[in-house]
Amino acid sequence: MNAVTLDQLQEYLPFLIPIILVEMALMITALVHVLRHKNYRFGNRILWVVLVVCLQIVGPIVYFTIGRGEE
Amino acid sequence: MSIIEIDQVNKSFGEVSVIKDLSLRVEEHAVYGFLGKNGAGKTTTMKMLLGFLKPDSGEIKICGEKVIYGNARTNRYIGYLPDVPEFYGYMTPKEYLGLCGEITGLKKEVLQRRTVEMLQLVGLEGNNRRIRGFSRGMKQRLGIAQALLNEPKLLICDEPTSALDPVGRKEILDILSIAKGKTTVVFSTHILSDVERICDSVGILDQGRLALQGKVADIKNSYRKDVIEVDLSSGYPIDRIMKLLKEKPYISEITSNDLRLHIQLSGQEKAASQVLRFLSEEEVPLLRYEIMEPSIENVFLEVVQ
Amino acid sequence: MRAFFVFTKKELVEQLRTYKSLILLSVFFLFGMMSPLLAKLLPEILSGMELQGMKIEIPEPTVLDAYGQFFKNLTQMGLLATLLVFGGILSNEMSKGTLINILAKGLPRYTVLLSKFTAAVLLWSASYGLAAGVNYGYTEYLFENTAVHNLGFSLFCLWLFGCFIIAVILLSSTILSGNFGGLILSAGAIVVMLILNIFPGLEKYNPITLASKNVALLLGTATSADLTWNVVITCLLTLGSLLLSAILFHRKRI
Repeated sequence: MNAVTLDQLQEYLPFLIPIILVEMALMITALVHVLRHKNYRFGNRILWVVLVVCLQIVGPIVYFTIGRGEE
Repeated sequence: MSIIEIDQVNKSFGEVSVIKDLSLRVEEHAVYGFLGKNGAGKTTTMKMLLGFLKPDSGEIKICGEKVIYGNARTNRYIGYLPDVPEFYGYMTPKEYLGLCGEITGLKKEVLQRRTVEMLQLVGLEGNNRRIRGFSRGMKQRLGIAQALLNEPKLLICDEPTSALDPVGRKEILDILSIAKGKTTVVFSTHILSDVERICDSVGILDQGRLALQGKVADIKNSYRKDVIEVDLSSGYPIDRIMKLLKEKPYISEITSNDLRLHIQLSGQEKAASQVLRFLSEEEVPLLRYEIMEPSIENVFLEVVQ
Repeated sequence: MRAFFVFTKKELVEQLRTYKSLILLSVFFLFGMMSPLLAKLLPEILSGMELQGMKIEIPEPTVLDAYGQFFKNLTQMGLLATLLVFGGILSNEMSKGTLINILAKGLPRYTVLLSKFTAAVLLWSASYGLAAGVNYGYTEYLFENTAVHNLGFSLFCLWLFGCFIIAVILLSSTILSGNFGGLILSAGAIVVMLILNIFPGLEKYNPITLASKNVALLLGTATSADLTWNVVITCLLTLGSLLLSAILFHRKRI
């Protein structure tokens, strides 16, 4: 990326910040949930930590909708 | 008045006939133990009482009203505790009882009062944790609380103690003993000692048929087998007394086990006292003399071959 | 009626406490924000890069690119998220047995279905409304000349399709048992609709057209009159699915 795009990124920063904040909030909520619970419908803790952290948006969705176990 | 009237009900799943021509009555204020081996048809019968299953033929009435499958208005008379009650794990016990009460349309003040009473009854008062962290026993107790919330005329419990440890079982039986003052209790079980502890009537279900029913006391009387057990003090020649007793006309059979004599009477009048008189004449050193009561277990095993 | 409100309230509490609201609202909020921004930024980022020594010339993005992104995100990821979030609302309760206590209290089964449908449609509408609102605001801010055709109708079509999918999920859950019964069968239903849309004659009646003609509507190459049949049929199918699921649910052994 060259300097021009960086400038433009700066210009759009007010728009990017809320996006990043919401994504982070989703990720952290999911991550905390993964770490505080032992049982998942399938998969193990490492898998879910990796999925939730690496796959933005999709990771937390999949975790909360089908990965999250009962107690 | 009969709370439950089941008339000639049949039910089969596919080819398998689960309930065969079942008729039974449960009277008001009874504590009715519904006995049977696993697969005898207890849960099926209970689900038909609740309108969750449709009988193939026959009629079921609760408090004189016919049970209609799928939309059982009669359920307003019933409190039901499933064998493994499941709750919304994200709620607290108080919230859950609130939901149950609101669904049935309890007035707000009544609901608040009943919630407090019920949580006290089952020992969950002041427990504001979410239900998802509850143990089996706690869930079972909450199950009773939700079943009794509306002061139902009939409390139906499906194997309420089967999955619990001894402490949990005792807790549930104690709660049911308290509940029986206010409502008719029907509960299924295969644990016979539970029946002896709190039931006054039983029905024994065997392969879909009602093999026996009646008051516990009556059943015990009619199945009294006239058996006497005698313990002798050690050193006494047990074979000698056995030989002598065997010749008596009032004794039909006698067996021994170490120093214990197991005497089956022939059913003659005063046979039991004749045995006692004979033993004292012979100066047999007695440690114990007991006329045996038939246990529900013996009756059950005899009926359910 | 009272029981309906009570159970709907329970459904809403459930959405909140099982993270359904959090997921759907935040994901749709992200789509609303990202779509116009991506449309605006992508050409600039690309044009700043050199690909094998060649400069890529991309025309100035327009408001249609923003809405194109928006509908693409919502009909793909958005629909998938909706399916995942609502896929288990009935299946999970059936397989866990949490409904037994409630039904034993005399709550009619159709009330359970109606409450679940209402609560799900409420959350879907809120999330969709949020996405559309944010998207609209940002598009207005970032682009000049934001006039498009049929915007309201185009948005309505996708909303209606979402409601239809929720009804399909409920129907699927009463047909197929198991934790993922509702999810699998609904996904299957969508695939079938996609395949049916290959036949040009069916496009006029297929509900899925409501989720594929959104940009064409904005462009003006399709008019609301073209989709009248789709709207009518989707409404009827939604009602039909609810009715059929009520009948099947009534017969279901619990």
